[in-house]
Amino acid sequence: MKTFIYSLLALSTFLIFSCSSDDTDNSEELTGSGEVSLTFDNGFNGNDLVLGTANGANTNGESITVTRFNYIVSNFRLVNKDGVEYTFPKDQGYFIINQEEESDEVALPEIPAGEYTTLKFGVGVDQEKYLQGAEGQGDFLTLAEENNMMWSWQAGYKFLNFEGTFTSETVTESTDFKVHMGSHGSSLDNYKEVSLSLPMNVRVGDGVDSNIHLKIDASKILVGATTSIKLTEKSVIMVDEVKSPQIAVNTSQMFAVDHIHNGGGH
Amino acid sequence: MKRIGLLYGVVVFVFSSCSKNSEEYQTINEPLEFVVPANFPAPIYDMESNPPTKLGFELGKKLFYDGRLSANGFISCGFCHEQRTAFTHHGHQFSHGIDDLEGSRNTPAIQNVAFMNEFTWDGATSHLDLFPIIPITNEVEMGETLSNVLTKLKSDTEYQNLFKNAFDEGEVNNENFLKALSQFMLMMVSSNSKYDKYVRQESGSQLTSNEQEGLAIFQAKCATCHSSDLFTDGQFRNNGLPPNPNLMDIGREEVSGAESDRYKFKVPSLRNVELTAPYMHDGRFGSLTAVLDFYTDGITDSATLDPLLKIGDNLGIPLSPSEKTSLISFLITLTDETYINDKRFAEY
Repeated sequence: MKTFIYSLLALSTFLIFSCSSDDTDNSEELTGSGEVSLTFDNGFNGNDLVLGTANGANTNGESITVTRFNYIVSNFRLVNKDGVEYTFPKDQGYFIINQEEESDEVALPEIPAGEYTTLKFGVGVDQEKYLQGAEGQGDFLTLAEENNMMWSWQAGYKFLNFEGTFTSETVTESTDFKVHMGSHGSSLDNYKEVSLSLPMNVRVGDGVDSNIHLKIDASKILVGATTSIKLTEKSVIMVDEVKSPQIAVNTSQMFAVDHIHNGGGH
Repeated sequence: MKRIGLLYGVVVFVFSSCSKNSEEYQTINEPLEFVVPANFPAPIYDMESNPPTKLGFELGKKLFYDGRLSANGFISCGFCHEQRTAFTHHGHQFSHGIDDLEGSRNTPAIQNVAFMNEFTWDGATSHLDLFPIIPITNEVEMGETLSNVLTKLKSDTEYQNLFKNAFDEGEVNNENFLKALSQFMLMMVSSNSKYDKYVRQESGSQLTSNEQEGLAIFQAKCATCHSSDLFTDGQFRNNGLPPNPNLMDIGREEVSGAESDRYKFKVPSLRNVELTAPYMHDGRFGSLTAVLDFYTDGITDSATLDPLLKIGDNLGIPLSPSEKTSLISFLITLTDETYINDKRFAEY
């Protein structure tokens, strides 16, 4: 039944889109729907993120070795060149990027034909979804548990699980760090939204599946645009009224679109 | 009596098309009516998202009493939540779970959960459906993972059938597992104490003059926090218990990370309070007398002490010895024999 409704939605959205595409200059008419895939290419300060390998020092003087880097991305939306926003079905819209498992792809099938200029998504799980209870979580709970993204003590999701070791000027012995960020019950909502303009339009339609290649800079989790967080001060950051929301903001700033592959291939 | 929205269908009986002798057998499921007691506020749980049914409830009950939800196969929910003590762990300050490990908070009663919006002493979750994950996965309680529990249930043909019969899309999965447990717990309504019958003016039920006096004291001095006929406002408050240095339990701050939440715990309901000793989040008091003595003489001041417990320089709630006696007489009228003897919730 749900599938039927979605196909109906997809169909109706497609009808609207196919009307507006009449005035495009593109030689190739986009019809129907296609898949937009997203590649989350994890890096650290301009380099590849290699688990277990030391990275160059951050600007705050701390040198970090990452051993785990997992995060939840959700609620994908694509805005077309006419400003119309397409929302990927919410109940299929939660994904885990897991560096250990090398799961770095999100596939969004049946995107209505069109040319899209902007990608929007969430980092984490919104309160609306959480408060849907058992129905809302479905199998995502199991997936989260299997990917170390569940906080059992509060039955909530870790939106970010970032672990490893670090050294700094004052901490010369390699020391463990753990950054687990998520919402906490009804007291702290750390879900954040990201909006990224695409360097070129992503085109999708029947026979035209495309890919958006994102580059992620994990170093920004600790050294963000406005807030720098020193592991030297606190190396285990989980429930922290001040630092946890800062981590949430910094994490939402680690995404950039690097390039687009229109019509197949990566 | 108010009745709420279980009108999602005429009672749906699925009749087997064959005669009784037929080996083909289809189980009858039917909606359960959730009745809101006349003296209660509206429920918080969204029943439309998970309408209780006869078979969903029964499945939930079986799960509640099934030790396979734990790592060693023995610690069920019912292990620490015993009906005869309003689903608390009788005589236990803290409960012992897997490998005899001990927790650091006293087992709370299970009752009237449909009317609550925060769960556990510190509000670690705000949805009933997701609550069971906490004890199931807690290393000192049931020490299991959700995935393992589902694997165990999936390989059990009895459970396969029970899930299939209880839900439309009756797969053994997270969603249905948590929904069934919620259905069982939602129906656990305690609303037939002597006090309830008195306020609802049922069948000439009366309180003694001592109990009435206790009620009046309660309303004047306790009912701001233990409010409504749920006997809790559902808020997190620091009631001035001297922190136990061996536990260092910071309460709600565990969840929010906020210093302003230090030592705050959820105001517990007082229903069935006669049965739920020991008292407080850490089960430190063995009797109601000790609790009341604490409120008159034992409160410690701190930055987060609830302002209601500090008037000028005076800490606590002033109560004379005879007022305490009356108050306890009243609290005992909150004992609900119907609830603790209700066969629907019983393990056997």
